[in-house]
Amino acid sequence: MSSEEALLGVENLTKRFGAVCPANGVNYKLRENQVAGIIGPNGAGKTTFFNLVTGLCIPDSGNVFFQGGDITRLSPQKRVQLGIRRTFQLASVFDNLCVVDNIRVAYYQKQRAGRPSLGGMFLTELVGVHSETIDELTEGMGFANVAHTEAGGLSLGNKRKLELAMAIIAEPKVLLLDEPFAGLSEMEISQIVEMLKNRCAGKMSILIIEHKITWLKDLVDRLSVLVNGELVADGTYQEALESPQARKSYWKLIEE
Amino acid sequence: MPRWLKRYGDILLVFGAVGLLRLALPVPFVIHAVIFAIYTMAFSFLIGRLGLVSFGQPVYLSIGAYGTGIYLARFGTNPYAGLFVGVVVGILFSLLIGSLLLRLTGDYFALANLALCAVGFFFFQKALVSVTNGDTGLWYLARMSSTPILNLRQPNNVFVLALILAVLVWLLMKYIDSSVYGAACLAVKGNETKLQLLGYDTFGVKWLAFVLANATAALAGALYAIYFGFVSPASMELVRAPEVIVAALLGGAGTLYGPLLGAFLYIAMQDLVSTHVLYWELFVGIMVVLIMMGDEKGITTWLKPIFRSGWQLVSRRPKITRTP
Repeated sequence: MSSEEALLGVENLTKRFGAVCPANGVNYKLRENQVAGIIGPNGAGKTTFFNLVTGLCIPDSGNVFFQGGDITRLSPQKRVQLGIRRTFQLASVFDNLCVVDNIRVAYYQKQRAGRPSLGGMFLTELVGVHSETIDELTEGMGFANVAHTEAGGLSLGNKRKLELAMAIIAEPKVLLLDEPFAGLSEMEISQIVEMLKNRCAGKMSILIIEHKITWLKDLVDRLSVLVNGELVADGTYQEALESPQARKSYWKLIEE
Repeated sequence: MPRWLKRYGDILLVFGAVGLLRLALPVPFVIHAVIFAIYTMAFSFLIGRLGLVSFGQPVYLSIGAYGTGIYLARFGTNPYAGLFVGVVVGILFSLLIGSLLLRLTGDYFALANLALCAVGFFFFQKALVSVTNGDTGLWYLARMSSTPILNLRQPNNVFVLALILAVLVWLLMKYIDSSVYGAACLAVKGNETKLQLLGYDTFGVKWLAFVLANATAALAGALYAIYFGFVSPASMELVRAPEVIVAALLGGAGTLYGPLLGAFLYIAMQDLVSTHVLYWELFVGIMVVLIMMGDEKGITTWLKPIFRSGWQLVSRRPKITRTP
Protein backbone atom coordinates (compact mmCIF):
# COMPACT_ATOMS: atom_id res chain seq x y z
CA MET A 1 0.00 0.00 0.00
CA SER A 2 1.57 3.30 -1.06
CA SER A 3 1.18 6.47 0.93
CA GLU A 4 -1.12 7.94 -1.75
CA GLU A 5 -3.78 5.36 -0.98
CA ALA A 6 -3.64 5.86 2.74
CA LEU A 7 -5.85 8.50 4.34
CA LEU A 8 -3.60 8.86 7.36
CA GLY A 9 -0.05 7.66 7.56
CA VAL A 10 2.98 7.99 9.78
CA GLU A 11 6.55 7.25 8.76
CA ASN A 12 9.41 6.48 11.13
CA LEU A 13 7.68 8.34 13.90
CA THR A 14 9.96 8.67 16.94
CA LYS A 15 9.41 10.43 20.24
CA ARG A 16 11.48 10.20 23.37
CA PHE A 17 10.76 11.36 26.94
CA GLY A 18 14.13 10.92 28.63
CA ALA A 19 14.81 7.21 28.89
CA VAL A 20 11.30 6.27 27.80
CA CYS A 21 10.65 5.86 24.12
CA PRO A 22 6.91 5.66 23.49
CA ALA A 23 7.32 5.83 19.70
CA ASN A 24 10.32 4.18 18.15
CA GLY A 25 10.20 4.41 14.38
CA VAL A 26 6.50 3.66 14.01
CA ASN A 27 5.17 3.13 10.47
CA TYR A 28 1.42 2.96 10.14
CA LYS A 29 -1.12 3.57 7.40
CA LEU A 30 -4.86 3.88 7.77
CA ARG A 31 -7.10 3.46 4.74
CA GLU A 32 -10.34 5.27 4.13
CA ASN A 33 -13.30 3.87 6.09
CA GLN A 34 -11.07 1.34 7.78
CA VAL A 35 -11.83 0.48 11.40
CA ALA A 36 -8.59 -0.40 13.13
CA GLY A 37 -7.69 -1.27 16.70
CA ILE A 38 -4.45 -0.76 18.58
CA ILE A 39 -3.70 -2.81 21.67
CA GLY A 40 -0.67 -2.97 23.85
CA PRO A 41 0.42 -2.96 27.50
CA ASN A 42 0.24 0.21 29.61
CA GLY A 43 3.05 2.55 28.69
CA ALA A 44 3.48 1.05 25.24
CA GLY A 45 2.98 4.44 23.61
CA LYS A 46 -0.60 4.14 22.38
CA THR A 47 -1.76 7.49 23.68
CA THR A 48 1.50 9.12 22.62
CA PHE A 49 0.80 7.80 19.13
CA PHE A 50 -2.55 9.61 19.22
CA ASN A 51 -0.92 12.74 20.60
CA LEU A 52 1.59 12.72 17.76
CA VAL A 53 -1.12 12.25 15.16
CA THR A 54 -3.34 14.98 16.61
CA GLY A 55 -0.51 17.41 17.18
CA LEU A 56 -0.53 17.58 20.98
CA CYS A 57 3.04 16.27 20.75
CA ILE A 58 5.66 17.08 18.12
CA PRO A 59 7.77 14.06 17.09
CA ASP A 60 11.55 14.05 17.45
CA SER A 61 11.75 12.63 13.95
CA GLY A 62 9.46 11.13 11.36
CA ASN A 63 6.41 12.49 9.58
CA VAL A 64 2.65 12.42 9.76
CA PHE A 65 0.69 12.44 6.49
CA PHE A 66 -2.98 13.14 5.98
CA GLN A 67 -4.67 12.91 2.59
CA GLY A 68 -1.29 12.94 0.93
CA GLY A 69 -0.07 16.13 2.66
CA ASP A 70 2.54 16.42 5.40
CA ILE A 71 0.88 17.63 8.61
CA THR A 72 3.76 16.99 11.02
CA ARG A 73 4.13 20.69 11.85
CA LEU A 74 0.47 21.71 11.86
CA SER A 75 -1.20 22.90 15.08
CA PRO A 76 -3.76 20.59 16.73
CA GLN A 77 -6.47 23.04 15.77
CA LYS A 78 -5.53 22.98 12.06
CA ARG A 79 -5.55 19.18 12.08
CA VAL A 80 -9.02 19.17 13.59
CA GLN A 81 -10.14 21.49 10.83
CA LEU A 82 -8.79 19.02 8.29
CA GLY A 83 -10.99 16.33 9.81
CA ILE A 84 -9.02 14.49 12.49
CA ARG A 85 -10.98 14.12 15.73
CA ARG A 86 -10.12 12.32 18.91
CA THR A 87 -11.57 11.41 22.26
CA PHE A 88 -9.57 11.12 25.46
CA GLN A 89 -8.80 8.39 27.93
CA LEU A 90 -10.36 10.56 30.63
CA ALA A 91 -13.69 11.56 29.14
CA SER A 92 -13.27 15.18 28.17
CA VAL A 93 -16.39 17.32 27.80
CA PHE A 94 -17.27 20.83 28.95
CA ASP A 95 -18.29 20.09 32.52
CA ASN A 96 -19.69 23.59 33.05
CA LEU A 97 -21.98 23.52 30.02
CA CYS A 98 -25.20 21.56 29.79
CA VAL A 99 -25.41 18.60 27.43
CA VAL A 100 -27.27 20.50 24.71
CA ASP A 101 -24.73 23.33 24.76
CA ASN A 102 -21.88 20.84 24.53
CA ILE A 103 -23.49 19.41 21.42
CA ARG A 104 -24.23 22.88 20.12
CA VAL A 105 -20.62 24.01 20.41
CA ALA A 106 -19.54 20.90 18.51
CA TYR A 107 -22.25 21.30 15.88
CA TYR A 108 -21.59 24.99 15.36
CA GLN A 109 -18.00 24.25 14.43
CA LYS A 110 -19.21 21.83 11.76
CA GLN A 111 -21.70 24.38 10.47
CA ARG A 112 -18.89 26.82 9.91
CA ALA A 113 -17.04 24.28 7.78
CA GLY A 114 -14.59 23.61 10.58
CA ARG A 115 -13.57 27.24 11.07
CA PRO A 116 -15.75 29.06 13.59
CA SER A 117 -15.09 32.78 13.19
CA LEU A 118 -15.21 35.09 16.18
CA GLY A 119 -17.69 37.41 14.52
CA GLY A 120 -19.93 34.53 13.57
CA MET A 121 -19.88 33.15 17.10
CA PHE A 122 -20.62 36.55 18.54
CA LEU A 123 -23.53 37.27 16.25
CA THR A 124 -25.12 33.84 16.48
CA GLU A 125 -27.62 33.53 19.25
CA LEU A 126 -27.38 30.23 21.02
CA VAL A 127 -31.08 29.84 21.65
CA GLY A 128 -32.18 29.95 18.06
CA VAL A 129 -29.33 28.23 16.22
CA HIS A 130 -30.57 25.18 14.41
CA SER A 131 -32.53 24.17 17.50
CA GLU A 132 -34.32 21.41 15.63
CA THR A 133 -31.16 19.76 14.38
CA ILE A 134 -29.65 20.06 17.82
CA ASP A 135 -32.71 18.57 19.48
CA GLU A 136 -32.72 15.77 16.95
CA LEU A 137 -29.08 15.01 17.60
CA THR A 138 -29.56 15.18 21.35
CA GLU A 139 -32.43 12.73 21.23
CA GLY A 140 -30.88 10.53 18.57
CA MET A 141 -27.74 10.09 20.63
CA GLY A 142 -29.84 9.18 23.65
CA PHE A 143 -29.49 12.30 25.78
CA ALA A 144 -33.15 13.30 25.81
CA ASN A 145 -33.58 13.03 29.57
CA VAL A 146 -30.28 14.64 30.52
CA ALA A 147 -30.32 17.37 27.86
CA HIS A 148 -30.26 20.24 30.34
CA THR A 149 -28.00 18.68 32.95
CA GLU A 150 -24.52 20.15 33.34
CA ALA A 151 -22.17 17.69 31.71
CA GLY A 152 -20.05 17.61 34.88
CA GLY A 153 -22.90 15.82 36.62
CA LEU A 154 -23.20 13.01 34.08
CA SER A 155 -22.21 9.42 34.74
CA LEU A 156 -18.93 8.28 33.19
CA GLY A 157 -20.84 6.28 30.60
CA ASN A 158 -22.89 9.28 29.53
CA LYS A 159 -19.80 11.49 29.49
CA ARG A 160 -18.07 9.08 27.14
CA LYS A 161 -21.15 8.91 24.97
CA LEU A 162 -21.34 12.71 24.91
CA GLU A 163 -17.69 13.03 24.01
CA LEU A 164 -18.12 10.53 21.22
CA ALA A 165 -21.28 12.25 20.05
CA MET A 166 -19.45 15.59 19.90
CA ALA A 167 -16.74 13.99 17.78
CA ILE A 168 -19.19 12.22 15.47
CA ILE A 169 -21.34 15.30 14.88
CA ALA A 170 -18.44 16.99 13.13
CA GLU A 171 -18.33 14.11 10.62
CA PRO A 172 -14.56 13.80 10.75
CA LYS A 173 -12.56 11.80 8.22
CA VAL A 174 -10.57 10.08 10.94
CA LEU A 175 -11.86 9.38 14.42
CA LEU A 176 -9.33 8.44 17.08
CA LEU A 177 -10.82 6.81 20.20
CA ASP A 178 -8.61 6.49 23.26
CA GLU A 179 -9.93 3.68 25.44
CA PRO A 180 -13.61 4.41 24.83
CA PHE A 181 -14.71 1.44 26.96
CA ALA A 182 -12.56 2.00 30.06
CA GLY A 183 -14.55 1.97 33.27
CA LEU A 184 -17.89 1.28 31.61
CA SER A 185 -20.40 -1.46 32.25
CA GLU A 186 -21.11 -4.09 29.60
CA MET A 187 -24.38 -2.37 28.74
CA GLU A 188 -22.78 1.03 28.36
CA ILE A 189 -20.07 -0.49 26.17
CA SER A 190 -22.63 -2.10 23.91
CA GLN A 191 -24.36 1.28 23.57
CA ILE A 192 -21.10 2.84 22.44
CA VAL A 193 -20.45 -0.02 20.04
CA GLU A 194 -23.95 0.50 18.62
CA MET A 195 -23.24 4.20 18.19
CA LEU A 196 -20.01 3.43 16.35
CA LYS A 197 -21.63 0.84 14.11
CA ASN A 198 -24.72 2.87 13.25
CA ARG A 199 -23.28 6.32 12.91
CA CYS A 200 -19.65 5.92 11.90
CA ALA A 201 -19.00 2.65 10.12
CA GLY A 202 -18.52 3.27 6.41
CA LYS A 203 -18.47 7.03 6.85
CA MET A 204 -15.08 7.59 8.45
CA SER A 205 -11.89 5.81 9.39
CA ILE A 206 -11.73 4.83 13.03
CA LEU A 207 -8.71 4.03 15.13
CA ILE A 208 -9.42 2.56 18.56
CA ILE A 209 -7.06 2.09 21.48
CA GLU A 210 -8.53 -0.44 23.86
CA HIS A 211 -7.70 -2.93 26.55
CA LYS A 212 -11.01 -4.79 26.40
CA ILE A 213 -9.89 -6.75 23.39
CA THR A 214 -12.90 -9.04 22.98
CA TRP A 215 -15.15 -6.05 22.34
CA LEU A 216 -13.01 -5.20 19.33
CA LYS A 217 -13.61 -8.54 17.67
CA ASP A 218 -16.79 -7.57 15.82
CA LEU A 219 -15.80 -3.95 15.45
CA VAL A 220 -12.42 -3.80 13.79
CA ASP A 221 -11.17 -5.10 10.48
CA ARG A 222 -7.58 -4.65 11.48
CA LEU A 223 -5.66 -4.95 14.73
CA SER A 224 -2.15 -3.86 15.64
CA VAL A 225 -0.09 -4.56 18.71
CA LEU A 226 2.16 -1.82 20.04
CA VAL A 227 4.86 -2.66 22.57
CA ASN A 228 7.55 -0.26 23.79
CA GLY A 229 6.91 2.15 20.97
CA GLU A 230 7.16 -0.48 18.26
CA LEU A 231 4.48 -2.17 16.22
CA VAL A 232 5.08 -5.84 16.80
CA ALA A 233 2.07 -7.20 14.96
CA ASP A 234 -0.40 -5.93 12.39
CA GLY A 235 -3.16 -7.79 10.58
CA THR A 236 -6.68 -9.07 11.09
CA TYR A 237 -7.98 -9.61 14.61
CA GLN A 238 -6.98 -13.28 14.54
CA GLU A 239 -3.63 -12.71 12.88
CA ALA A 240 -2.60 -10.06 15.36
CA LEU A 241 -3.55 -12.09 18.41
CA GLU A 242 -1.89 -15.21 17.11
CA SER A 243 1.30 -13.62 15.87
CA PRO A 244 4.29 -15.03 17.75
CA GLN A 245 5.71 -11.55 18.30
CA ALA A 246 2.57 -10.35 20.04
CA ARG A 247 2.26 -13.50 22.10
CA LYS A 248 5.80 -13.08 23.25
CA SER A 249 5.94 -9.40 24.10
CA TYR A 250 2.33 -8.60 24.94
CA TRP A 251 0.91 -11.76 26.45
CA LYS A 252 4.31 -12.87 27.77
CA LEU A 253 3.56 -16.34 26.49
CA ILE A 254 6.94 -17.72 25.67
CA GLU A 255 6.72 -20.58 23.26
CA GLU A 256 9.72 -22.71 22.74
CA MET B 1 -47.59 38.58 29.31
CA PRO B 2 -45.85 39.79 26.13
CA ARG B 3 -42.61 38.11 25.10
CA TRP B 4 -40.38 41.14 25.41
CA LEU B 5 -41.54 41.72 28.95
CA LYS B 6 -40.82 38.12 29.82
CA ARG B 7 -37.36 38.36 28.37
CA TYR B 8 -36.38 41.79 29.57
CA GLY B 9 -38.75 42.17 32.52
CA ASP B 10 -35.97 41.51 34.98
CA ILE B 11 -33.87 44.36 33.65
CA LEU B 12 -36.75 46.81 34.09
CA LEU B 13 -37.13 45.56 37.62
CA VAL B 14 -33.44 45.79 38.52
CA PHE B 15 -32.68 49.13 36.96
CA GLY B 16 -36.01 50.51 38.04
CA ALA B 17 -34.94 49.67 41.57
CA VAL B 18 -31.67 51.51 40.99
CA GLY B 19 -33.61 54.49 39.76
CA LEU B 20 -35.71 54.45 42.91
CA LEU B 21 -32.60 54.17 45.08
CA ARG B 22 -31.49 57.40 43.48
CA LEU B 23 -34.45 59.16 45.09
CA ALA B 24 -33.80 57.66 48.49
CA LEU B 25 -30.03 57.86 48.75
CA PRO B 26 -27.43 60.61 48.37
CA VAL B 27 -26.58 61.35 44.72
CA PRO B 28 -22.79 60.92 45.04
CA PHE B 29 -23.37 57.46 46.45
CA VAL B 30 -25.63 56.22 43.65
CA ILE B 31 -23.42 57.68 40.93
CA HIS B 32 -20.35 56.09 42.44
CA ALA B 33 -22.18 52.79 42.84
CA VAL B 34 -23.56 52.69 39.29
CA ILE B 35 -20.18 53.47 37.74
CA PHE B 36 -18.53 50.96 40.01
CA ALA B 37 -21.18 48.42 38.93
CA ILE B 38 -20.09 48.86 35.30
CA TYR B 39 -16.51 48.24 36.37
CA THR B 40 -17.56 45.18 38.38
CA MET B 41 -19.69 43.74 35.56
CA ALA B 42 -16.68 43.87 33.28
CA PHE B 43 -14.47 42.09 35.78
CA SER B 44 -17.15 39.57 36.67
CA PHE B 45 -17.31 38.63 33.00
CA LEU B 46 -13.58 37.91 32.96
CA ILE B 47 -13.48 35.93 36.17
CA GLY B 48 -16.84 34.20 35.94
CA ARG B 49 -17.15 33.40 32.24
CA LEU B 50 -13.52 32.98 31.24
CA GLY B 51 -11.92 32.05 34.53
CA LEU B 52 -9.30 34.80 34.13
CA VAL B 53 -8.39 36.35 37.47
CA SER B 54 -6.61 39.66 37.21
CA PHE B 55 -5.08 41.63 40.09
CA GLY B 56 -4.49 44.61 37.86
CA GLN B 57 -7.95 45.87 36.94
CA PRO B 58 -7.27 49.43 38.18
CA VAL B 59 -4.87 49.91 35.30
CA TYR B 60 -7.64 49.37 32.74
CA LEU B 61 -9.98 51.63 34.68
CA SER B 62 -7.33 54.34 34.88
CA ILE B 63 -6.36 54.09 31.22
CA GLY B 64 -9.93 55.04 30.39
CA ALA B 65 -9.92 57.78 33.01
CA TYR B 66 -6.63 59.22 31.76
CA GLY B 67 -7.72 58.98 28.14
CA THR B 68 -10.70 61.13 28.98
CA GLY B 69 -8.77 63.31 31.42
CA ILE B 70 -5.88 64.13 29.12
CA TYR B 71 -8.27 64.86 26.27
CA LEU B 72 -10.38 67.20 28.37
CA ALA B 73 -7.43 68.89 30.06
CA ARG B 74 -5.29 69.43 26.98
CA PHE B 75 -7.31 69.07 23.78
CA GLY B 76 -11.07 69.31 23.71
CA THR B 77 -13.85 70.44 26.00
CA ASN B 78 -16.78 68.21 25.04
CA PRO B 79 -17.26 65.54 27.75
CA TYR B 80 -18.91 63.13 25.30
CA ALA B 81 -15.89 63.31 23.03
CA GLY B 82 -13.79 62.73 26.15
CA LEU B 83 -15.82 59.63 26.99
CA PHE B 84 -15.33 58.37 23.45
CA VAL B 85 -11.58 59.00 23.58
CA GLY B 86 -11.35 57.18 26.92
CA VAL B 87 -13.09 54.09 25.56
CA VAL B 88 -11.05 54.06 22.34
CA VAL B 89 -7.81 54.34 24.32
CA GLY B 90 -9.08 51.49 26.53
CA ILE B 91 -9.79 49.31 23.48
CA LEU B 92 -6.37 49.96 21.91
CA PHE B 93 -4.58 49.39 25.21
CA SER B 94 -6.33 46.10 25.93
CA LEU B 95 -5.84 44.90 22.34
CA LEU B 96 -2.11 45.41 22.78
CA ILE B 97 -1.82 44.14 26.36
CA GLY B 98 -4.19 41.24 25.70
CA SER B 99 -2.06 39.95 22.85
CA LEU B 100 0.83 39.69 25.31
CA LEU B 101 -0.69 38.76 28.66
CA LEU B 102 -3.21 36.22 27.38
CA ARG B 103 -0.35 33.89 26.58
CA LEU B 104 -0.14 33.41 30.34
CA THR B 105 -2.63 31.41 32.32
CA GLY B 106 -3.82 31.08 35.90
CA ASP B 107 -1.68 32.65 38.59
CA TYR B 108 0.80 34.02 36.08
CA PHE B 109 -1.91 35.98 34.33
CA ALA B 110 -3.15 37.37 37.64
CA LEU B 111 0.34 38.44 38.76
CA ALA B 112 1.42 39.84 35.39
CA ASN B 113 -1.62 42.11 35.61
CA LEU B 114 -0.58 43.15 39.11
CA ALA B 115 2.85 44.04 37.75
CA LEU B 116 1.26 45.92 34.87
CA CYS B 117 -0.71 47.94 37.39
CA ALA B 118 2.49 48.85 39.23
CA VAL B 119 4.18 49.84 35.98
CA GLY B 120 1.17 51.91 34.99
CA PHE B 121 1.21 53.72 38.34
CA PHE B 122 4.87 54.58 37.88
CA PHE B 123 4.25 55.88 34.36
CA PHE B 124 1.35 58.13 35.28
CA GLN B 125 2.86 59.34 38.54
CA LYS B 126 6.52 59.81 37.54
CA ALA B 127 7.53 59.04 33.98
CA LEU B 128 4.82 61.02 32.19
CA VAL B 129 4.70 63.82 34.72
CA SER B 130 4.81 66.51 32.01
CA VAL B 131 1.52 65.21 30.63
CA THR B 132 -0.20 63.98 33.78
CA ASN B 133 1.05 66.44 36.44
CA GLY B 134 2.04 63.48 38.61
CA ASP B 135 0.36 63.24 41.99
CA THR B 136 -1.39 66.57 41.55
CA GLY B 137 -3.45 65.08 38.77
CA LEU B 138 -5.28 66.82 35.98
CA TRP B 139 -8.12 69.23 36.82
CA TYR B 140 -10.53 70.18 34.09
CA LEU B 141 -14.00 70.41 35.64
CA ALA B 142 -14.22 74.09 34.69
CA ARG B 143 -13.03 73.42 31.15
CA MET B 144 -15.80 70.95 30.31
CA SER B 145 -18.36 72.54 28.01
CA SER B 146 -22.10 72.27 28.46
CA THR B 147 -23.81 69.86 26.13
CA PRO B 148 -27.36 70.22 24.81
CA ILE B 149 -29.24 67.06 25.82
CA LEU B 150 -27.67 65.55 28.92
CA ASN B 151 -25.48 68.27 30.33
CA LEU B 152 -22.73 66.32 32.04
CA ARG B 153 -21.68 69.28 34.15
CA GLN B 154 -24.56 68.34 36.42
CA PRO B 155 -24.13 65.22 38.58
CA ASN B 156 -27.78 64.27 38.05
CA ASN B 157 -27.18 63.90 34.34
CA VAL B 158 -23.99 61.94 34.93
CA PHE B 159 -26.14 59.55 36.92
CA VAL B 160 -28.65 59.20 34.08
CA LEU B 161 -25.86 58.58 31.53
CA ALA B 162 -24.13 56.09 33.82
CA LEU B 163 -27.39 54.26 34.37
CA ILE B 164 -28.10 54.09 30.62
CA LEU B 165 -24.59 52.80 29.97
CA ALA B 166 -24.90 50.28 32.80
CA VAL B 167 -28.12 48.98 31.23
CA LEU B 168 -26.36 48.68 27.86
CA VAL B 169 -23.41 46.83 29.40
CA TRP B 170 -25.83 44.55 31.24
CA LEU B 171 -27.72 43.85 27.99
CA LEU B 172 -24.43 43.08 26.27
CA MET B 173 -23.58 40.56 28.99
CA LYS B 174 -27.04 39.02 28.71
CA TYR B 175 -26.70 38.82 24.95
CA ILE B 176 -23.27 37.20 25.19
CA ASP B 177 -24.75 34.62 27.53
CA SER B 178 -27.18 33.62 24.82
CA SER B 179 -24.68 33.53 21.95
CA VAL B 180 -22.44 30.74 20.76
CA TYR B 181 -19.60 33.05 21.76
CA GLY B 182 -20.83 32.96 25.37
CA ALA B 183 -20.84 29.17 25.31
CA ALA B 184 -17.33 29.24 23.86
CA CYS B 185 -16.20 31.53 26.71
CA LEU B 186 -17.54 29.11 29.30
CA ALA B 187 -15.94 26.28 27.36
CA VAL B 188 -12.56 28.05 27.60
CA LYS B 189 -13.03 28.24 31.35
CA GLY B 190 -14.06 24.60 31.57
CA ASN B 191 -11.64 22.92 29.20
CA GLU B 192 -9.57 25.04 26.85
CA THR B 193 -7.70 22.16 25.21
CA LYS B 194 -10.95 20.47 24.36
CA LEU B 195 -12.24 23.60 22.68
CA GLN B 196 -9.05 23.82 20.62
CA LEU B 197 -9.53 20.22 19.62
CA LEU B 198 -12.99 21.11 18.39
CA GLY B 199 -11.31 23.48 15.96
CA TYR B 200 -11.94 26.75 17.81
CA ASP B 201 -9.41 29.54 18.02
CA THR B 202 -9.36 29.86 21.81
CA PHE B 203 -6.87 32.68 21.80
CA GLY B 204 -9.27 34.75 19.75
CA VAL B 205 -12.12 33.93 22.11
CA LYS B 206 -10.06 35.09 25.08
CA TRP B 207 -8.72 38.15 23.32
CA LEU B 208 -12.17 39.40 22.37
CA ALA B 209 -13.42 38.79 25.91
CA PHE B 210 -10.40 40.58 27.36
CA VAL B 211 -10.93 43.58 25.10
CA LEU B 212 -14.68 43.70 25.76
CA ALA B 213 -14.20 43.48 29.51
CA ASN B 214 -11.36 45.96 29.74
CA ALA B 215 -12.88 48.43 27.32
CA THR B 216 -15.90 48.34 29.63
CA ALA B 217 -13.59 48.97 32.59
CA ALA B 218 -12.16 51.91 30.64
CA LEU B 219 -15.70 53.18 30.08
CA ALA B 220 -16.22 53.12 33.85
CA GLY B 221 -12.95 55.00 34.27
CA ALA B 222 -14.00 57.60 31.69
CA LEU B 223 -17.30 58.10 33.53
CA TYR B 224 -15.43 58.62 36.81
CA ALA B 225 -13.18 61.13 35.07
CA ILE B 226 -16.15 63.12 33.86
CA TYR B 227 -18.00 62.92 37.15
CA PHE B 228 -15.08 64.00 39.33
CA GLY B 229 -13.60 66.42 36.82
CA PHE B 230 -10.09 65.34 37.63
CA VAL B 231 -7.83 62.30 37.38
CA SER B 232 -4.86 61.32 39.51
CA PRO B 233 -2.65 58.25 39.80
CA ALA B 234 -4.43 57.39 43.07
CA SER B 235 -6.99 55.45 41.03
CA MET B 236 -4.21 53.12 39.95
CA GLU B 237 -2.69 52.32 43.32
CA LEU B 238 -2.09 48.64 43.87
CA VAL B 239 -4.11 48.62 47.09
CA ARG B 240 -7.17 49.38 45.00
CA ALA B 241 -6.81 46.21 42.94
CA PRO B 242 -8.77 43.95 45.28
CA GLU B 243 -11.84 46.17 45.53
CA VAL B 244 -13.34 45.09 42.22
CA ILE B 245 -12.48 41.46 42.94
CA VAL B 246 -14.18 41.66 46.31
CA ALA B 247 -17.24 43.33 44.82
CA ALA B 248 -17.52 40.73 42.05
CA LEU B 249 -17.12 37.82 44.45
CA LEU B 250 -19.52 39.34 46.98
CA GLY B 251 -22.24 39.48 44.37
CA GLY B 252 -21.27 36.27 42.62
CA ALA B 253 -18.87 36.22 39.69
CA GLY B 254 -20.29 35.23 36.33
CA THR B 255 -23.89 35.90 37.28
CA LEU B 256 -25.93 38.63 35.68
CA TYR B 257 -27.16 40.42 38.80
CA GLY B 258 -24.26 39.56 41.07
CA PRO B 259 -21.95 42.37 39.99
CA LEU B 260 -24.70 44.96 40.49
CA LEU B 261 -25.46 43.71 43.95
CA GLY B 262 -21.82 43.35 44.86
CA ALA B 263 -20.96 46.82 43.61
CA PHE B 264 -23.79 48.47 45.55
CA LEU B 265 -22.95 46.52 48.67
CA TYR B 266 -19.28 47.38 48.47
CA ILE B 267 -19.78 51.07 47.80
CA ALA B 268 -22.38 51.15 50.57
CA MET B 269 -19.78 49.78 52.96
CA GLN B 270 -17.17 52.19 51.71
CA ASP B 271 -19.34 55.32 51.69
CA LEU B 272 -21.86 54.77 54.43
CA VAL B 273 -20.26 52.46 56.98
CA SER B 274 -16.93 54.23 56.85
CA THR B 275 -18.54 57.42 58.17
CA HIS B 276 -19.24 55.58 61.42
CA VAL B 277 -16.51 52.99 61.64
CA LEU B 278 -12.88 53.75 60.88
CA TYR B 279 -11.88 50.22 59.90
CA TRP B 280 -14.78 49.54 57.58
CA GLU B 281 -12.72 47.05 55.57
CA LEU B 282 -13.03 44.75 58.55
CA PHE B 283 -16.73 44.35 57.82
CA VAL B 284 -16.08 43.73 54.14
CA GLY B 285 -13.53 41.07 55.07
CA ILE B 286 -15.86 39.27 57.43
CA MET B 287 -18.65 39.41 54.88
CA VAL B 288 -16.45 38.00 52.13
CA VAL B 289 -15.39 35.11 54.33
CA LEU B 290 -18.98 34.31 55.27
CA ILE B 291 -20.23 34.50 51.70
CA MET B 292 -17.35 32.50 50.26
CA MET B 293 -18.09 29.75 52.74
CA GLY B 294 -21.47 29.45 51.08
CA ASP B 295 -20.70 29.18 47.41
CA GLU B 296 -18.54 30.64 44.66
CA LYS B 297 -21.58 32.38 43.26
CA GLY B 298 -21.61 34.66 46.29
CA ILE B 299 -24.65 36.31 47.65
CA THR B 300 -26.77 35.47 44.58
CA THR B 301 -26.80 31.83 45.67
CA TRP B 302 -28.84 32.90 48.65
CA LEU B 303 -30.98 35.48 46.94
CA LYS B 304 -31.80 33.67 43.73
CA PRO B 305 -34.39 31.23 45.14
CA ILE B 306 -36.11 34.10 46.93
CA PHE B 307 -36.18 36.29 43.81
CA ARG B 308 -37.22 33.41 41.61
CA SER B 309 -40.24 32.48 43.68
CA GLY B 310 -41.12 36.16 43.95
CA TRP B 311 -40.82 36.59 40.18
CA GLN B 312 -42.93 33.51 39.56
CA LEU B 313 -45.63 34.96 41.75
CA VAL B 314 -45.79 38.05 39.56
CA SER B 315 -45.22 36.50 36.17
CA ARG B 316 -47.33 33.35 36.30
CA ARG B 317 -50.76 32.48 37.36
CA PRO B 318 -50.71 30.39 40.48
CA LYS B 319 -50.98 26.69 39.78
CA ILE B 320 -54.14 25.12 41.08
CA THR B 321 -53.49 21.65 42.32
CA ARG B 322 -56.35 19.40 43.06
CA THR B 323 -56.12 16.41 45.26
CA PRO B 324 -57.90 13.47 43.68
